Amino acid sequence: MNTAELHNEVREVNLAYLMLAQHLVRRDRDTAAFRLGIGNDLADLLERLTPGQVLRMASSPMLLCRFRFEDRMLAELLCDHEREAGMSRLHAAILAAGQPVETLA
Amino acid sequence: MAAAMRTRSIVSEGKEIQLAGELVRMGARLQLLEAEIGLSREKLLRLYKEVKGESPPKGMLPFSTDWFITWQPNVHASLFMSFYRFFLDHTAVRGLDALIKSYRLYQEHVALNDSEPVLTLTRAWTLVRFFDAKMLQLTRCDGCGGNFVAHAYDLTQNYICGLCHVPARAGKSRRAVPVQRTVGPVAAIV
Repeated sequence: MNTAELHNEVREVNLAYLMLAQHLVRRDRDTAAFRLGIGNDLADLLERLTPGQVLRMASSPMLLCRFRFEDRMLAELLCDHEREAGMSRLHAAILAAGQPVETLA
Repeated sequence: MAAAMRTRSIVSEGKEIQLAGELVRMGARLQLLEAEIGLSREKLLRLYKEVKGESPPKGMLPFSTDWFITWQPNVHASLFMSFYRFFLDHTAVRGLDALIKSYRLYQEHVALNDSEPVLTLTRAWTLVRFFDAKMLQLTRCDGCGGNFVAHAYDLTQNYICGLCHVPARAGKSRRAVPVQRTVGPVAAIV
């Protein structure tokens, strides 16, 4: 993958992420806070972005969303490495709900 | 009283009826509606029959905190309570709305897991009331760091949750459906 292609891929993920996040926040901002792992201030920001701003933000060559679960246990549960997949997923959800959310400084 | 009834807004009553109907569809028992919705008992009863097509079950609600401590209910109650606590900590949603939103997330997660919701909406509501009354609390598991429903004032040092330390016969009730295992080749690749 050359640099131009790489930038394109990143932009596409950014755009898809921003559009989805904005859609979720507008539909139900409380549930969106959980799904996205974001605080109120970030939800506000996402909600207010105009289409033009979404495009400008997405066109950055840096990924806008970052790996959310830094907890080792949670990461392992999410990739289902043990026993029953179902219980691992419920366990992961319990841990995920207890994680801090992203907020603006 | 009569004057108060007359000044009551029809719009707000309409909203309450809609909310009550939604709660009934989600599995609320009459006691929950009576406590949370400002409509007369007769109206709630009629609404219940209309939505469900049957009379509400009689008898008291389960009132023991012990049910929430047994293995499978504890996993489900802890899952629900994690969502509820998330909403209290990170959003402005409170009360009945928080209950409904947490319960929806709970149903969603259980459905993804192909299992039955062990916790009914009425149980979830009772659970929140036990928390409000400080009879139950969330206790941090020393193994995974997750928060789990436990009796308040129990010794909480070195607490290990039921998912870190699964009892031998856990989930093996007669009704338990065989779980489709997706581990294997996929795990091998990783």
